[in-house]
Amino acid sequence: MPEVVVSIGPHHPALKEPVNFKVIADGEKIVRLELDLSYNHRGIEKAAEQRDFVRVLPLMERVCGICSHSHSTVFVKGIEEIMQLEVPPRAQYIRTIIAELERMHSHLLWLGVAAHVIGFNTLFMWTWRDREAVQDTVEEMSGNRVHYGMNEVGGVRRDLTPAQVTAALDRLPNLEERIKKYVDMVNSEETMLIRFRGVGKLSKHEALRYGTVGPTARASGIDYDIRKDDPYLAYADAPWNVVTDTNGDVYGRTRVRIGELQESLRIVRYCLENLPEGPIRITAPRNAPTGEILSRYEAPRGELVHFIRTNGTDKVERVDIRTPTLANWTSVAMCLVNQNLADIPVIVAAIDPCLSCTSRITLLDDRKKKTGVITFDELVRRNRSLHDEKGQT
Amino acid sequence: MSVLREMFENLLSRPITILYPKEKVPIPEAFRGRVAIIDEKCIGCSKCSLVCPARAITMIEGPREVEFKGKTLARKKRPQVKLYKCIRCSLCERHCPTGAIYLKNELSSSGTDGEIVVT
Amino acid sequence: MMDLVFGLLYIFIFPGFLFLFSYALFLAFLDRKIAARMQQRVGPPFFQPFADFIKMLGKEVIDPAGVDKAIFDAAPLVALAAVMTAYLYVPIIGKSPLAFQGDLVVVLYLLSLPTIVLFLLGWLSRNIFSAIGGIRAVTQLFIYEVPFFLALLTPALMAGTWSISEIVSWQQKNMWFIFLQPIGFVVALIGLQAKLERTPFDIPEAETELVAGPWTELTGRRLAIMDLTIDMSFVVGSALVAALFLGGPLLPWAVTPAWLEGCIGFLLFLAKTLVVLLILSSIKVATGRIRIDQLNDIGWKYIASASIVQVGIVLVMNYLWVYS
Repeated sequence: MPEVVVSIGPHHPALKEPVNFKVIADGEKIVRLELDLSYNHRGIEKAAEQRDFVRVLPLMERVCGICSHSHSTVFVKGIEEIMQLEVPPRAQYIRTIIAELERMHSHLLWLGVAAHVIGFNTLFMWTWRDREAVQDTVEEMSGNRVHYGMNEVGGVRRDLTPAQVTAALDRLPNLEERIKKYVDMVNSEETMLIRFRGVGKLSKHEALRYGTVGPTARASGIDYDIRKDDPYLAYADAPWNVVTDTNGDVYGRTRVRIGELQESLRIVRYCLENLPEGPIRITAPRNAPTGEILSRYEAPRGELVHFIRTNGTDKVERVDIRTPTLANWTSVAMCLVNQNLADIPVIVAAIDPCLSCTSRITLLDDRKKKTGVITFDELVRRNRSLHDEKGQT
Repeated sequence: MSVLREMFENLLSRPITILYPKEKVPIPEAFRGRVAIIDEKCIGCSKCSLVCPARAITMIEGPREVEFKGKTLARKKRPQVKLYKCIRCSLCERHCPTGAIYLKNELSSSGTDGEIVVT
Repeated sequence: MMDLVFGLLYIFIFPGFLFLFSYALFLAFLDRKIAARMQQRVGPPFFQPFADFIKMLGKEVIDPAGVDKAIFDAAPLVALAAVMTAYLYVPIIGKSPLAFQGDLVVVLYLLSLPTIVLFLLGWLSRNIFSAIGGIRAVTQLFIYEVPFFLALLTPALMAGTWSISEIVSWQQKNMWFIFLQPIGFVVALIGLQAKLERTPFDIPEAETELVAGPWTELTGRRLAIMDLTIDMSFVVGSALVAALFLGGPLLPWAVTPAWLEGCIGFLLFLAKTLVVLLILSSIKVATGRIRIDQLNDIGWKYIASASIVQVGIVLVMNYLWVYS
């Protein structure tokens, strides 16, 4: 059969957000993939340059709905380090609790979506039912089910009352049992096994070469978790392990995420039981000193990086967001070649894509009416010529 | 098989869907709902208007005498919130010195009129 | 004259097309309700499939550019007509008055027409998703048809007749075929699930892969009629399996007043098709979708060989019975 272009997106029932995959297929085998991101570009990095440190945090939260606390915490962590503030331990513990609860809800959501993608709607309904326990806990603590609004520069916005702590601890045993059932289900359910095993295999060498991060990399045997390699918040105190797997395919990534669910539950339980007393915030100065910082955080999808440059005013001069999904797209494009057409949604869903986080730039040529992307070498070349014009080094 | 057993157990028991609006959803106390303003406490400092990320609060004329920390102040302005621009972040509640503006935990507070304000 | 009136009443009212229409919608509702309750959801109310049908009839029909409108209008009707004709030969309240030798083969042939129609519609909608979906539908037809036909023909081999109504009478005198041919029963159920394109075999209509496969460009009344065709095939398919393996609408002994036998037969028919529905719904809820090449593997390696083994066993049993 000749090669046909099957265009998945921008509108497609498999995708939650718009992205354009132009898949060039030969029968049912994929030959090549052309990727077009950036349908969701909202200009948040530019908008952040015009808001002071109090007003910019709700904006940073709304980069993504599922990992909203991640973006807010990594930004606040960076600013606090530039200002050299000592955040009180109770605030660090509360931030950790919310961060791990967010990881749990994100992984349960992912498990449901992965089951839905292979048509196994029963597991989808069951995991999202159990996710409600996590959402109820977060709603009691922070007031909302997403966009928690817990961070401010210098500490946390709200305190946890003893009643909230007890209610949260009461929900954990049931959740633990349900997660054990999902471990059994993934290891023994026939249709899941034959759809997930051997699909989208990434060897350790390939994963390192394409720069994958997060559970996608940990499933290929790479031991890379920012919470252990560069500890922040309360992760150095709580007892937990990094979950890796050697399978490297979608099955391995499922096992890593379910393992992380169990580890997160341990961290939440430890932090809730050992919450230190004390204040929940300190007063932060209005302006930040001049400086640059690269702030890293382990979001549910992988390593999230914010590059922040401040210049002595009460606003940032530049914030650059590199989300984990952006780092993982190359691995999708590479491991889709020679796979079946029916496996595209499975492989794409296995990296847990969050396209709202990802959108980078696209070039619009108004005269020729075309869109396109720009390569790294071209970007460096243009930047260099711009600098030479302005006479700077 | 665990899936089969659970399926048949579920078939013989009640569904867990909450049949809203006949049954009520339990709302926690900290829930961030509709904005409300207590006029007697407001001293017209404009902090809420300055910190609102959505620029939903404007200060309008509202002269009156208010009590603050044992003194009587003659305030000139009071806040007006565009209800459907508000993103319920509760920064105004955090930064208000007297607790005059706060978020109630009302669940059903959506509508279609873009010009409704709370003063 | 009275014969003609009774005949027309049988064909059009009860247990004819009107009953088929309402029972098809009722079974569609039960299927969705059982699946929902197994997932701890509430599920639709009992009139939901009927409301969907009426709503779809009133929706706008959109023709993609360059598509042959006449075939798009006629093809769903052909599928519906095929299934409704197949229904007339299945015993509902006793023997079918239209029964003849060979009606089993006619019913099986008519039941595969909807899939051919889907392939035709998929090929004619000028869009890549529908073409791939149509190809998958026909591939699936090739894979499951052989074991399905073999599993449904083994009762005919043992009973020595090609008429469904006579197979049912044979079971009344001897034993239900589910006890004599359990492998055939399992293969027939799997084949029925694949014919109706339900999980784990809903490959042609995979929503998350190809928008809706060959169903993509069906809108309005065409979609209503194709949906009704699938619902009616469910009734005919499960009635066929109930008649061939579970003894149909006859008790293991004869009951004297004919009208009483008819009533009891009708209740038995309802009960047996509901049992088949429960099994098929459970399969739908408990599994996910498999790929077409994996279906190829499983279909030819396990299901086809199981049905051939079943035919071998039946031939051996026939030989022993004839000799003894």
